[in-house]
Amino acid sequence: MPVANIDLLLLGVSHKTAPVAVRERLAVEPEAIAAALVELTALAPVREAAMISTCNRVELYVAAEDADRAAAELAGVLARRAGVAVGDLAEHLYQHRDSAAVRHLFRVASSLDSLVVGEPQILGQTKQAYDAAVQHGTAGAVLRACFEEGAFRVARRVRRETAIARNPVSVSSVAVEFARQVVGDFSRKRVLIVGAGKMSELAARTLRTHGATLTVINRTRARAEELAQRFGADVADWNDLQGALTTADIVIASTGAQRPVLTLETLKLVRKARRGRQLCLLDIAVPRDVEPEVGKLDGIYLFDIDDLQKQASDHRAEREEEAAEAEAVVEEELGRFVKRWRSRQRGPLVSALQTHFHGIARAEVMRLSGGVDDKERKARLDIAESLVKKLLHLPMTALRDDDPDEAVSLVQALQRLFSLSPMAAVPASEEAPAGSDANVDKKATGS
Amino acid sequence: MSTLTWHAVGAYAIAAILYLAHVVGLRRGAENAGRAMLAVGVALHFADIGVRCYHGTNPISSTPEAMSLAAFMIAAVFLLTSLRYQLTAAGGFAVPAVVALILLARLAPAEMAPPTAAAIPEMGRLGQAHILLATLGVAVFAFAAVLAIVYLFQDRSLKRKQLDLAMARGTPLETLDRLAHRCVSIGFPVFTLAIVTGAIWVARLGLLHGRGTLRPEYLIAVGTWIAFAVLIIARVGAGWRGRRAAWLTLGGFGGTALVVAAYFIRHAV
Repeated sequence: MPVANIDLLLLGVSHKTAPVAVRERLAVEPEAIAAALVELTALAPVREAAMISTCNRVELYVAAEDADRAAAELAGVLARRAGVAVGDLAEHLYQHRDSAAVRHLFRVASSLDSLVVGEPQILGQTKQAYDAAVQHGTAGAVLRACFEEGAFRVARRVRRETAIARNPVSVSSVAVEFARQVVGDFSRKRVLIVGAGKMSELAARTLRTHGATLTVINRTRARAEELAQRFGADVADWNDLQGALTTADIVIASTGAQRPVLTLETLKLVRKARRGRQLCLLDIAVPRDVEPEVGKLDGIYLFDIDDLQKQASDHRAEREEEAAEAEAVVEEELGRFVKRWRSRQRGPLVSALQTHFHGIARAEVMRLSGGVDDKERKARLDIAESLVKKLLHLPMTALRDDDPDEAVSLVQALQRLFSLSPMAAVPASEEAPAGSDANVDKKATGS
Repeated sequence: MSTLTWHAVGAYAIAAILYLAHVVGLRRGAENAGRAMLAVGVALHFADIGVRCYHGTNPISSTPEAMSLAAFMIAAVFLLTSLRYQLTAAGGFAVPAVVALILLARLAPAEMAPPTAAAIPEMGRLGQAHILLATLGVAVFAFAAVLAIVYLFQDRSLKRKQLDLAMARGTPLETLDRLAHRCVSIGFPVFTLAIVTGAIWVARLGLLHGRGTLRPEYLIAVGTWIAFAVLIIARVGAGWRGRRAAWLTLGGFGGTALVVAAYFIRHAV
């Protein structure tokens, strides 16, 4: 959003427009962000810059004096970084300006533009991008308004008021949630990983982050020890499978066995030894590691890969539905943001207009009050001031009017009529209604 | 009913609606507002009981008064527990039960208000202790029963792989099982003392007035005591938990409710 005649410009690629082969070339490591920001702000038209770089997107948000020139120069920077010709990169690049750029930022921070809609990481990544810009002195009034007063607030509201992020959508997070509903907090719970394959590793990683204590059991002890070492887990002997099942709260089974390794008979014995304690079995192996009849036992809760995938898929569909509500929140907040910004922009114009009129009135009173005493001069000044206030009342009210089209013409008319400084101007590009031609996505020409 | 009582009932009713709205999915996040309203209801109810005490109506002087006290205890225990555990679904059962209990107590026929026992001059400390302990025991068992109901629903949802329903109820199975057991463990000695004091009290009354009739509620009370004793022994000895423990808790509370109902009906007719 503009300050004076500065535009907000967004240029970037995302999972929607570019394959990973392009994205990985443009991605910037956290330690290289500072240099990248300095490089961007060194470009002549760029006044402020922030960069969001994740595995799914690389986006540059800049406040620039000459948006067309800035867009061309930024495209050049990105092309050099990717090691391709500007023309080759152009087909993957998208560009938004002013309110369209703000809308895009709001959608990104609210996780509406994410690969998995509603995923929570993007808000943190957006905050990191802004913090880096602040830390390296490349964020000013424009980016501060867009990120701090806009994007973060919108993202919080979307999460609070919609169910977009309520339910887990990945198989591993669904598994974690099922387990949580059975055994509660993981901090004092023991998880038994049966099998030391790739899936076991993923499961171990997920549960480790939730504070669970891990034990690995595998037919080949060496592989179990290897996995255990990586996650600081204990190792149990395969011959003591029944004992390990008895002490566990959650079991993740993912062996490569062709027949179930956890049979109904075994689990009946385990259940008896557990003295009724609830047990959650997550069978993520194909073929299955746990006999399906086990799930009928009282106190034992069995979820196989189909259960987890179906739940994840249902949740993804729910999120898509919730996304419509979230989009409405984004539009509402965008409208408020633009209005607030416009009001802030008009402040100096109002002030300039008042100074202009009061100055004329005062000068005229002084000019015509050569032979009068102080009291009379003060009375004349008061009358003149009062007259100016009354004359300006209607124009001021009209200037604060919400109608964007009228406001544009009034601002421009006032500037031209009274030769006021363009400091407070609200450029036409910002005033264009959301979705109008002026703000519709434009593919960078790369010129 | 006094204005204060109506205000307490109103706050409880709003809390009940908010908890239910959260549970049935009408309004996610209503749980926090429900808890705040419940806190208001508990405060008003406490004030109501205090004011009645000040005007000479002892909270254990009659079945309706004791029921109101039990409702207050259930609400207070639930409120305190919900500060530590997420008990969304339990709120959907416990708070409406509180509303029903307090309404039943306060809208009971006027002839019940004087009393089961207060009018009996020889009620004495023993009679008061019996009613107070019985009230406390009923409240704690009622809370355990609510947790058992939620456990059974939660168990069914998880057996049917309905994660959303389980998440909406908000309390893991293990937590529900542990809390219900804790309630029964607290309620059982209280209820035991209530039965012992009640037996001695009734025996004394019988001796004084020659009213030694063995009423059905005495037998139900003993049956209830046995059910809870079996539950505690079976959990410690044979590891009875989960569904079986939940059903036995409900059975035990059913007996307790029958005893209260018997007293209520006896004094209402």
